[in-house]
Amino acid sequence: MKYPALAIAAALAASAALAQQPAPPAPPPGQPQGQPPNTAVAPAIPPSWAQGRTKDQEGSTLAPHPPGLTALDAREIPVSSLKAPPGFEVTLWASGMPNARSMTQSPKGTLYVGTRFPGTVYAVTDQGGQRQVKTLLKGMYRSNGVAYKDGALYVAELSRILRYDDIDNHLDSAPKPVVVNDSLPKDEAHGWKFLKLGPDGWLYFQIGAPANIIMPPYTHATINRLNPQTGVVETVARGVRNSVGMDFHPVTHQLWFTNNGRDWVNDDLPNDTLHVLKAKGENFGYPFCHQGDLLDPEYGKGRSCDEFSKPAAKLGPHVASLGMRFYTGSMFPAEYRNNIFIAEHGSWNRTKKSGYNVTRVVLDKSGKVVKVEPFVEGWLQGDQFWGRPADVHVLPDGSLLVSDDVAGAIFRVAYKGGNRTASR
Amino acid sequence: MVLVAAALVPAAMDAAAAGDPVAGEAKAQVCVQCHGPGGNSASAEFPSLAAQPPLYVQYQLIQFREERRKDPRMSPFAAKLTDTDMKDLGAYFSQQKLEPPAATPDAAKVEAGRAITQSMHCNSCHKPDFSGQQHIARLAGQHEAYLVKELRGFKTGARPDIDGSMASAAQPLTDADIVNVAHYLATYR
Repeated sequence: MKYPALAIAAALAASAALAQQPAPPAPPPGQPQGQPPNTAVAPAIPPSWAQGRTKDQEGSTLAPHPPGLTALDAREIPVSSLKAPPGFEVTLWASGMPNARSMTQSPKGTLYVGTRFPGTVYAVTDQGGQRQVKTLLKGMYRSNGVAYKDGALYVAELSRILRYDDIDNHLDSAPKPVVVNDSLPKDEAHGWKFLKLGPDGWLYFQIGAPANIIMPPYTHATINRLNPQTGVVETVARGVRNSVGMDFHPVTHQLWFTNNGRDWVNDDLPNDTLHVLKAKGENFGYPFCHQGDLLDPEYGKGRSCDEFSKPAAKLGPHVASLGMRFYTGSMFPAEYRNNIFIAEHGSWNRTKKSGYNVTRVVLDKSGKVVKVEPFVEGWLQGDQFWGRPADVHVLPDGSLLVSDDVAGAIFRVAYKGGNRTASR
Repeated sequence: MVLVAAALVPAAMDAAAAGDPVAGEAKAQVCVQCHGPGGNSASAEFPSLAAQPPLYVQYQLIQFREERRKDPRMSPFAAKLTDTDMKDLGAYFSQQKLEPPAATPDAAKVEAGRAITQSMHCNSCHKPDFSGQQHIARLAGQHEAYLVKELRGFKTGARPDIDGSMASAAQPLTDADIVNVAHYLATYR
């Protein structure tokens, strides 16, 4: 399906990133768009995170955690508190990158790392066993999404997708970007993008719901893809509140993605979810139905969850399931082959904190999820966290990288074996 | 080994979380020339920093250093500060008592401002007593003219904010709303 609301930008060379003004907040339910917002007396829209609270919840002290804007000194990072299953070892791989989040890697080995808040993109290279971190781009606006294709780095900002050509050879001075698309919505709430190159050569990204729980404009709560050659944008999935992690199954090539469930139902509902897209245009339920079987207390009235595609797995309430990758490496034991690893950023809208780990999802031969279990834990100590996993990435050697946007660091999980299973 | 690791974790988290207010006081000597003794500024040109949440001070300093928030007077100072300096300054100013000048509230403006802050849900982030939390500013007792200037700035984009919440919140405000809200918050005790 063509996406008429998103005008396609001509691919013209543009100057450095301009500030993108955020859009005013989405109107409350029932208020038509385009009408002047009410002031003073009529209730306005609460900040997006607080939207959807019941009267009883308005006094809650739960609020989103401050964004990570600093990097811990490498000597301060308690990497020894990170625990993986026997045979695995977790080490600090790179540090000094405030708000390090989404990762992509070029065939030459450069790891590109996007950020949500500081507007930087980092380039990490391995120099004889030591990692060198460069700030490749500065002054970007919500430069969370990164993807590498044909020598170019694509960066998804709040409302634009930019292309930096021949990037591996320009790590000290990035070229001027080509603007591939500058017409995405400017809503700040769930406006930062995850960007993923598909096996079809298209770039996949989400446009999240512009609030916690709201009837979204038809452009929002979607997963879309952009053809980098033609600029065409299509919607491939609907009813997705906010997906900040996507990958393609190495065998079936189907799109799998994580989704962050709504807040302010209760501590244990709804779950974050893992989904697989089986047909273009599928609807996954938001705002009517959550986790495949829970009608929304407000928007679910008169609806049925059977109208929508079911999730492949429930991942736990409020855990903030972000980046995910299929394990395609050969270092880990054979039973890890084609498993999914998910970075769980950790909860805020929950009395007892949950998430703050890397989760392993095991699929059977038919692609059915048979197990969901923690893989790396330890960012949460008691009720305090010192870091938050944001994305995962499989290195060519088969080890797994985990970015952390509070510690401003990247960890590496390697298999050291002992009883290593025979390689496939 | 396990014991060592267990002992390391809280120390590391402390180091990550808290600054040193004593070191901060020494480092604040240049700040207080404009922001006033103990961060109680005498001039609305300069915001009071006393009793601001420590993370608010630290994160605004980062915004200045990274040139996301710009001010010809402030930027050169922030450019030279390390993360540790900023943490220490946050710790110091957060522990100072705010001593705002005696307020002369205008009842009509106070009521108009109060109604707007309520309808706009300002207290969701800034707390019901507007004392701020985490990286969110304290507003109670701040200079009125400073609040007007910053709210206008959030509306036009002249003052960028970290996550866009304030830019969004300021959009529906008329200039009269901004003046009333600032008066209400500046005189809030």
